[in-house]
Formats: sequence, C-alpha cells, structure tokens
Amino acid sequence: MKRLWSLSTFIVLIALVLTGCVAPAPAGSTPQAGADAGAGVKDFVTWYQYDQNNEDTKSDERVGNEYIRKTIPLFNEAFKGKWNWVNQPKAFDKMGTELITAVQAGGDVPDLMHIGNSDLLAFYQNGTVQDLTEWAQAQPWFKDLDPNSVTACQGPDGKLYCIPVAEAPQLVFVWKDRFPDGYPTTPADFMKQAEALKAKGLYAITFFGSTDYDGEGMSRFFWTAISSFGGKLDDGKGVMTLNTPANVAAIEFIREIVTKGYAPEIVFAGKFQEEEAFKDASAGSFPTGIFGYRYVNPLTAPSGKKYEKKNEEDMLDAIAAGDVTLAPFLAAEGQKPGCNNAVSAFTIPTGAKNVDAAKDYINWIMGAEQNPAWVLGPGGGFPALKSIQSAESFQTPFYKEAAKVVAASNCHPWYGSLERRQEAQKLIVTTIYKLIKEDPSADIATTLTAAEAEYNKGN
Amino acid sequence: MHQFLIMRRHWERWLLNALLILICMVVLLPVATTLLISFKREEDVVRKPPVLFPCDTPTRAFDPTACRWSLEGYERVLAPKPTGGWPLGFVLTGNMFRVYIPNTLLYATTSSLLVVTLAGMAGYAFSRYRFRGHRLLMSSILAITGVPLLTNLLALYQMGVDLRKAQLPFYDDRLLIIIVYVGFYLPLSVWVAKGFFDAIPRDLEEAAFIDGCSPLDALGRIIIPLAAPGLMSIFLLTFVNVWNEFIAGYLLIAKNEFKPAMFGLYDFLSQNIINFQVIAAACVLIALPTVVLFLFTRRLFFQAMVEGAVKG
Amino acid sequence: MLSMSRRKVGGWFNRSLPFWLILPTILVLLVTQVYPGIYTIWLSLQARQPTGWTFVGGNNYKRLFDMGQFGESVGHTVVFLVGFVVVTLVVGFLFALLLNRKLYFSGLYITLLYIPWVIADIIAGLVWRLLVVPDYGLLSGITQNPLFFPPNGLSILTAVPPRPWLGAFPFPPAPAMIYLIMASAWRALPFITLLLLAAMQTVPSEIVESSRIDGARGWQVVRFILLPLMLPTLVVALFSLTLSGMNGVGMIFSLTNGGPGTSTEVLSYLLYSIGWTQREFGRAAALAMLIAVVNWLLILGTLRVSRVEERGA
Repeated sequence: MKRLWSLSTFIVLIALVLTGCVAPAPAGSTPQAGADAGAGVKDFVTWYQYDQNNEDTKSDERVGNEYIRKTIPLFNEAFKGKWNWVNQPKAFDKMGTELITAVQAGGDVPDLMHIGNSDLLAFYQNGTVQDLTEWAQAQPWFKDLDPNSVTACQGPDGKLYCIPVAEAPQLVFVWKDRFPDGYPTTPADFMKQAEALKAKGLYAITFFGSTDYDGEGMSRFFWTAISSFGGKLDDGKGVMTLNTPANVAAIEFIREIVTKGYAPEIVFAGKFQEEEAFKDASAGSFPTGIFGYRYVNPLTAPSGKKYEKKNEEDMLDAIAAGDVTLAPFLAAEGQKPGCNNAVSAFTIPTGAKNVDAAKDYINWIMGAEQNPAWVLGPGGGFPALKSIQSAESFQTPFYKEAAKVVAASNCHPWYGSLERRQEAQKLIVTTIYKLIKEDPSADIATTLTAAEAEYNKGN
Repeated sequence: MHQFLIMRRHWERWLLNALLILICMVVLLPVATTLLISFKREEDVVRKPPVLFPCDTPTRAFDPTACRWSLEGYERVLAPKPTGGWPLGFVLTGNMFRVYIPNTLLYATTSSLLVVTLAGMAGYAFSRYRFRGHRLLMSSILAITGVPLLTNLLALYQMGVDLRKAQLPFYDDRLLIIIVYVGFYLPLSVWVAKGFFDAIPRDLEEAAFIDGCSPLDALGRIIIPLAAPGLMSIFLLTFVNVWNEFIAGYLLIAKNEFKPAMFGLYDFLSQNIINFQVIAAACVLIALPTVVLFLFTRRLFFQAMVEGAVKG
Repeated sequence: MLSMSRRKVGGWFNRSLPFWLILPTILVLLVTQVYPGIYTIWLSLQARQPTGWTFVGGNNYKRLFDMGQFGESVGHTVVFLVGFVVVTLVVGFLFALLLNRKLYFSGLYITLLYIPWVIADIIAGLVWRLLVVPDYGLLSGITQNPLFFPPNGLSILTAVPPRPWLGAFPFPPAPAMIYLIMASAWRALPFITLLLLAAMQTVPSEIVESSRIDGARGWQVVRFILLPLMLPTLVVALFSLTLSGMNGVGMIFSLTNGGPGTSTEVLSYLLYSIGWTQREFGRAAALAMLIAVVNWLLILGTLRVSRVEERGA
C-alpha cells in the first residue's frame, strides 16, 4: 500500500514536471527571434543593467527599462538591413565581474557594455576592454567631450578605454523648510543647524553609511565629505595615503554627526534604505548622486504635502514646487565643496564579435538626436558632450539648479591613482565605518595608518 | 494513586500539545510574516510602527472588514496580460513564470533523475560487492565534497566556455549546469543509496541466484522495487537542493533565457530593492512548489535525510 | 553472510559488474569535482596581469594573511560556528525529546517544523531580513522599542558589536551575528531534530523503562541513558552542522551582506567578496584552499566516528 502510494506520487510528479517543461519552451526563444529577420543582418549585443522586457511601471529601474524598450526599434530602423540590437540585461552589481570572467575564459562577451568609471581599472588590469584611443580621437564628437569625463575613461597608460556619455556628480537634496537659514556652508554652521533640528526630533542628514555592496558608500557621501575638507586618498602614484590632517578632520566631522545623533540609524541599514529618512522628511538633507531623484519617492514634505506619483516625477515636482532644493555640500575653511563624479560610459570588450556595430551605435548615441534621451535614460546625469548641455531637455528647473550646484563644487573621482579600486573601496569604507560607528573612541590617525599600510603592502 | 497517574498523564499530554503548537507557531512566524507582507499594499508595508495585519482603521485597532489586502506584489512578479483567448484569458508575461521557473524545473528534474540513476548503480555496487579499494573509493567520494563550491566554479566556468567554443551540435549551457548539479549532489546520494541497499536482506538475492537469476535480473526484479522508496527520496532531496541552488546557476549560465528561478529572485532584488511586498511575493512563488512537494512526500524526505546523515 | 564477489556467478561481464556500475559516477565526479579542485590549487599560485596569468608562488597566501579582514573573519567564523552548532544541537535535542513522546499529532508537528528546511537559504535570509528591516520590520517594532531595549531600542541590522572581552576576538558578538545564528539555526533545525529523533527512537524503550523503575528522574534518564547511547549520532550531527555552517553563504548574502560593518563577515563570505567582487581569483583560490583543508578535517572526523559506530553496532 505504502509503495503504491509513493509510486503514484512519483508518476504524478513526473507528469507535472513534463507538462511544466513542454509548455513554456517556445517562449524561451523569443528574445532571439529577430535574429533571422533577413539575410546579412548581424546581431549587435549589449549588456545594460536595464531590462527591455520588464514592463513593470513601478520597478526601481523603470526609466532605464523603458528607454531600452523604446530605443531598440529606433536603432534597428536606423540600421535596417545591417544590425539587429539584442540587449542582454545583467544585474547591476555583478555585470563587471561577469564581463571579466567571460573575457578571461574566452566566453561570450557583448559587443558593447554600459559601465561606470569605477569598474574601468579592473577591466584594464584584466585586459577586459579594448583600447579606443585612435578611433575615438578621429570622431567628430571627441573634441566636444568634457575633458574631465575623458580623464575618467583613461587607463594608467593614458589610453582611452571607454567613451563617456554622461556625468553623474554628487549633490545634496535638501528639504528647504528644514533649513530656514539656507543649507549650511561650513562645518560649524552645519553642527549648529543640526543641533536645532535635533531639538525638534529631526535629523539634519541621511546618507549611504553602510558597508553594503562592498563599499559602494565610498563614491557617495564619504568621498563628498572627505574632499570637502580638502582630503585625498592617494599620493598620485598609486600609493594610498589615508592618514592626512584633512582626512582626519573629515572623519571627525562624520563621526560627530553620527555620535551626536544628527543622522538616523537607518543610514547604516544598507540596501539603499537610508533613502527612507529623506522620503518622509525626517532627515533634512541627503547627499547622493544626481541620479538619486529617480529612486527617492514617494515624498512627504515637512509641510505634510505629499508627492505620490511614485515615480521619478515626484522629486522633480517637489523641486519645481520649491519644497526640495539642490545644494553643494558644505566645505571646510579655504576649500571648495567636494563631490564624486561618476561617469556613465560605453566600453567595447576584448573579443567582441561585432565591433563595427558597437562603433556605429556609439556614433548614433553621440548624435544630437539620440544623446539627450540616453543621458536622461540610462545615463541619469549631465551630458558629457558640452554642446548637448544646452539642449532643451536640460533646461528644466531640476537641471538648471543642478548645473549651478555642480559649478560651485569641485567634483572628481575618489580613487585618484589607486589601482585596486574594489579592494581600496572596501578597505576604506570598512575603516571609516569602524571609526564613526563601531568604535567612536578609536584613534583616527592610527587606524588610518594601519589601513593604508595594509593596502600598500599589495603594491 | 492509579487514578492520579492517569490524570497526570492527561494533563501532561495537553501541556505537551500546547507547547508543540506554540513552538510550531514561533518556527513558522517568519514564513507567515512573509506571506502577510506579500499580500499587503506598499503603504502598509512601510508603516511605522509596523503592523501585522493591515486591518486597522482610525477608530479601531483591528477590524476584519476593513482589511486592505492587495495582490500588487504578485501582479508585479507575474505581470499578467489579458489576451482574451484560451485557456485563461491572460498570459503571465513576468520573466519569473515565463522563463526562470520552467528552467529550474527542467534542471531540477533532469539532474535528480540522473543522480538517482547513477547513485543507485554505484550504491548497489558498493553495498553488494567487496573489492580492492572499496573503502578508499567510498571515502574519496565523500572527501571530494570538501572543496568549496564557490571556487570550483572558476574551473567549471572555464570548462563551460571551452565547450561552448567547441560548438558541439547538441550542447548548450543547460547541459553543463545539469552535469554540474549531478556532480554536486551525487557523492552524498551514493552514500545514502548504499545505506538503503544495505537495509535490504541479501537472502532475497541469494534465493534469486539459486533460482538462476543473473545479478542484473536480481537487481531489476528484486532490489530496485524494494529500494524504490529510498531512490525516490534521493530524487526528492536532489530536486529540492537543485531548486534552491543560486550561485552556480547564476554564474555558469550565460544566456538569460536559461537562467534559473533563484537568479530570477536576484533580478527582482536589484530592480525592487525597497519594495518589500514584491520581494515577498517573489519569495513565496519560488518557495511554494518545493514546500507543496515536501508536504505531499514528507515521509520519503525524512527517510533520505536520516539515512544520509547517519551513514554520511 | 557470504560476500558475493567470492561466488562464481555468470561470465566476465557479471564479474566486472561493480566496475561498470561505479564508472559513470567516477567520471562525473572527475569532471565536476576533481578537475576543478586541481584547477583551484593551480589558481591559488597565480595572479592576473593584463597579459595573462603569472606564477606568484605563495604570494596570494601571504597577502591573504596580511589582510586585517582575514583575521577578523576567522574570529567571526569561530563565533558563528560555535553559536550555530550549539544552538541547533541543544534546541534540536529538546525538540526531539518533545516529539519522542507518543502524541496523536506528532506527524503534523514534525511536518510543520520541517518546512524551513525546504526553503532556499537565499529566501530564508530575505524572509528573516523582512522581520528586522529598520523601522518597518515586525520584530523591529519590538526591539526598537526603548521599553524592551533601553535606552534607545535596538536595531538589529545596524547595531554595532559590544566591546570585545578578549583582545580582538569578536565576543560578545554583534546583535546581527546573533540574529544570523538564529536564522541559520532555524533552517538547520528540522534536519537535526529529525536526525536526533531517529536516533532517540532506536534507544530500546525497555532500557528507559527499567531505569525509571530504578528511580531515575527525567533529566537523569537523558543524562545517563539517552546521551551516551546517542553520542555517535550527536557527533555526526555536530560535524555535519559545522561543515554546512563553514560553507553556507546564501543566508549571509541576503540577510546581512556581511554587515553591519564587517561584523557578520565569515570566511565563506570573504571568499565570495575577494573572488567575485574584488575579482582577485588567485587570492580567492588561496582562501578556498584553506577552507577546503578545514572541510577535509571535518569529513575525516565524521568518517572516523561513523566507523567507530559501525564497529560498535
């Protein structure tokens, strides 16, 4: 009896599984369906963190998803009979590693990948991407590129390994009503206003303070604060120099914010949960990338007014209404507000099968017609092409204000000449975290010296 | 006195039952909360302080008629689109059910069937024959599992690429991942299978031999039917393990349309970092098949687990 | 009982039957386990340059030991393993004791208690995270209440570890580590409970009965009768828990990501971090070799114990 029972379960199970497998089989092949359309059309494969098939209008990445979905037919139309764009969505925090392993092992690589500049050095060291110097310099748009963004795409050998399309500097989103005297411009002023807010049960600031995503916090608030104190993390020759008076002062400043309770606990929760404190205005300011406007919604202003479209328009509406303003971070005496500048760029991996299509694509995106849409979509910042910055799309209240803020700041990538960026990022963020949160009594200078020594041993 | 003992027994039983019910509730609390979250609306998910049931009204703390249940989380995972046609009037366009779960189903079924076959063969040999290197081989099979899976993947990845380059006509990543899963879960299964065969009295085969059966006949006619529940339990165990595996499936499969359900969950995380109701719904949908499978076949599960642990 | 290989049965094929039966298994294992293992050894001696792999000898190991994070992770691993194993064994044993009573609903209880084991570790981690998400998690509602954890309430995912008692050894652990241990134990408990229950049921009830008649009280029965008889199973459970605790990374991945700070970063997570986010595969392979050695020691221990058990039985 018992055996009969188990046997029948087994049969039912197999039947279930078989029907499950047969039904969806045709659906699996749809993404490639376009490949056979007409002879001579070659596939052009890209890796983006955006998924054209995800039509969820509430997905965190809806802006990018929608852009890719709309643009694929446009590209295929523009290069009809020649290229067929196939986008393969990849997880944002894994795609870099995936590309490196794929190239190392000689696996399937895309013809073009959308990257941030912080990945570039790992790519350079692993021989993952192609040298684009000669080709790029011969293109009409090259001279129009912001020189800073070009630098961000150069390897240690001075050659160009990626093509910058958008720049996403850091700035501060501010609930105007929380800072009646304007957003503070000096550390002392900040502490004064923060104390006043604390007395009302509010926080002055929320920021990415956790060690999550292997130190993603580095390129956000931590570098903004350090560089606003005139700090640097390297000596310009690949040696890490953490123990400098400016760095110590900056970390002391962050430590004071944390120990005095000017920032909410959720700052350290990771997975971007620090945003929550800005959404309900319990924290008055939020230093983050300019692209942050997309993710931080819905919003409730200090007045109780709600912005509830639950998409990127909430932040734009709040800015247009004057509830939220953008500001540069404060700066120590004699310093300019600092910030990290992330560059959104294209690379062509080593071993790409259809380099011609990738180059056609880059030229297409660099044209005045396509460029603004890309910068507003996947780029999420300012155009790297100077001529496009005056385009109509970038004359909204949001962009105008952001441009003013960025002009008042001194933005450059945090890693300087450090070559092992991932390792440095994790090490520095962990060290800062320990100093500001875990052990607020530890001596900052000694701890920083130990950390830099650990990194420099690997040089 | 006797009366008193029975009374005590009675009370003790009640107490025990109450205690066990309490334990079950505590143990299942995380699962229950996730279920509840998956049916909540976003506004109720991000409440401070949190509420267990979204059933409070401005005037009452709990009002069952005012519950704000919602299928938003599931809708966003499944992305149903009306077609107006056969068979349901809509299709599920979400990648989860269109791509990832069918893939996982395929990998889990095929690799479990292979594991059962291979482990059954090897387990039988180890159980019924003594030969030189018997113990050494058994021990090495177990020792093999000591290499951490994470770095094995580097070599396996390399292998996958070489195979892809060779352009074998029948090869795709699905074949690789199935073989890899078989390799991962085979060693322990061999031990479990040997245990099951050990438990079948040899007298039965002896009798069959005397009747003139060959070893293969004996295997097919006597041993396999007797070992069926055991083999079935190996199948189930492997099935659940493969279903739940994340990192190998994620790293070894290059094409998105071949990726498994756990990757699909990851996909959801990176696209909905702060939408807990969507994440919860995705969790529920992926875990549901294995939980249901377990509920229907629990006896076999228990058998394999105990056997594997005691022998392994 | 006669061993079958000594019997003359059939021809050449039948005599070499065990070989043919085992061969496929060995082939699969060679491809999926042995070759990658050897590759890992090779990789641990290499570093990646833009031109390709270069031999660096023991440099990867040296750099690993130079990392401050390595030493910390060893400490975290020890704390995690001890906590995880002890909690799971003790609670599992108590559950088994309860379930060993003949109750009408025993089957139902076992089934319900078993559900966590079927849930993937990634999902289990998420499920437990949802409970303690700062401000919104159901448990956070309790722990963050200053009434229960004065003075300011406790946010499990962000609270820092207390000052260590012994040098740099991370004890007492951070609340997140305790929570991680609870979550991991939650998932391992069903298996251990069942294992111990099975062992408990093989203890002849006459022995227990006669000891009761001799005047042994409840805990004395456990201490002097059950524990000694179940010792081999307990040791097997201990090793298998240590092994799975040593290598499980999925739960940390979705529950804490190694945080807050690095307070839940154990060796297996460090391996993932070095290999797949810092992309230093050589150094990751070196760490993998160290973990493998520990694993092999554990497996060796299990084998020895089960052999003793076999002889004893």
